[in-house]
Amino acid sequence: MLEVQDIDSFYGELQVLRQVSLHVDEGEVVALFGPNGHGKSTLLKAISGLHPPVAGSVKFNGEELSKLPVHKIVERGLAYIPEERNLFTDMTVMENLKMGAYNPRAHKTIKSNLEFVFRVFPRLEERQNQYCSTLSGGEARMVAIGRGLMSETSLLLVDEPSIGLSPGMRKAVFEAIARINTERKITILIVEQEIENALALSQRFYLLKNGQVAFERKASEVDVTEIERAYF
Amino acid sequence: METIINTIVSGLISGSLYAAMALGLTIVYGVSRVFNFGHGVIAIIGAYVTWLMLDAAGIGLVPAVLISMGFMFLFGMGMYQFAINPLLKKPNWEFSTVLFMLGAGILLENVVLQIFGPRVKSIPLFVEGRLRLGFVKINWHDLILMGIVVVAVILLSLFFKYTRMGQAMRAVAQSIPGARVVGIDINKIFSYTFGLAFIVTGFSGILLGTKYYLIPHIGWEWMVKGFVITTFGGLGSTSGTIYAAIILGVVEAFATLYFGAIWVWPIWFAMFMIVLLIRPQGIAGGRL
Repeated sequence: MLEVQDIDSFYGELQVLRQVSLHVDEGEVVALFGPNGHGKSTLLKAISGLHPPVAGSVKFNGEELSKLPVHKIVERGLAYIPEERNLFTDMTVMENLKMGAYNPRAHKTIKSNLEFVFRVFPRLEERQNQYCSTLSGGEARMVAIGRGLMSETSLLLVDEPSIGLSPGMRKAVFEAIARINTERKITILIVEQEIENALALSQRFYLLKNGQVAFERKASEVDVTEIERAYF
Repeated sequence: METIINTIVSGLISGSLYAAMALGLTIVYGVSRVFNFGHGVIAIIGAYVTWLMLDAAGIGLVPAVLISMGFMFLFGMGMYQFAINPLLKKPNWEFSTVLFMLGAGILLENVVLQIFGPRVKSIPLFVEGRLRLGFVKINWHDLILMGIVVVAVILLSLFFKYTRMGQAMRAVAQSIPGARVVGIDINKIFSYTFGLAFIVTGFSGILLGTKYYLIPHIGWEWMVKGFVITTFGGLGSTSGTIYAAIILGVVEAFATLYFGAIWVWPIWFAMFMIVLLIRPQGIAGGRL
């Protein structure tokens, strides 16, 4: 489904990704681990077109994405859920969710997607008329995930969804992501620091270090300490 | 009492005109973060084009306004595509766009001067005569102007709330990264925003041109007023702009009554600076 081949990415003079290759197959949940500042978010931004790679190719269902602008990539069915959330703060929860369905392919499924979002995040249904500037961090994260889901995409790139959340919220977020995959059949590439939780819901993972893929493994083949050791 | 009520009415009238005039500035700034220092001259151009249609082409008021609005839309989009968009891609765009629009304003003022000459022009009143309600006296024309502004503001807010394009503009105003993530084409939205803002600005120029007079350099006075109003209200906030315009309109009316017109600017700027010091985000926050 997603085929990333030898991508290089820079911020100014600084090379953040070196010859990174990975693939995600339809229906999978793939995790991306690695120390902070080693290129995980940059990789998701490169795939989603927010920070296009300088070299290499990103193929999605056989089509080259690396030269397309972000809005075209979303139309193809690939969306990014940013760690920073980037909500529309002077809009209500409902308006934010509906903005997620901005791209034409998402129009028809607004209703069923909204129902699903409210099923996995009942809190958002209660808060639907509240402005996003008044939400707690965890609720705002739920809106960001819900908004991404509303895009009716077949692949979601999720960037550190549990960061900064209370244990209870974290659990809710991981459960939601698992349900997005199993109930909605949406393929997921997730960046996470909560290794244990992320391993529990993914089939495979990559470890990114110094902007390169250090190794790739099946989730069932490793334990957490082995991955944590690789961080240092 | 009589004087006070009549002064308030006159303040509300100029306040609503100022609101119309400053909204274009708020829309451009709110969505694109570009502060349009050529704003007043853009308003003037809308008024002059309408005057040209009325006087030279001799067509009716409504078609003249519509043609002029169509022109303003294309003008705004063109300004964005050929000038602002390339500047936004460079570092220091905040500063370079301000200077560019300032320069464009000066250039365009002189173009207007060359085409239309320095003589004062005016767009005729819609209706003559005045309404008397007891001791309250209002020109019919002013009442119509206020009505037009109220309708225009309602239409604009419906546009921002319920249309796909309006919602996308609000989304871009509130978070550009968020707007990109949901698949909004930022460049297209900026372009339409400039088109819309130039329409609103040109339209306000027509309204001002009927109440006051038209002369090429008057645009700068409008621009400074718009600048004070938008900052006072909270940059990028449409409701803030409207409140600020009404407040400053009424203040202007009272300042003129009690101290003379010469005191309007000092009082406005004193209020403006006090608001900036105590509440730098303006009287109302929020974006669009």
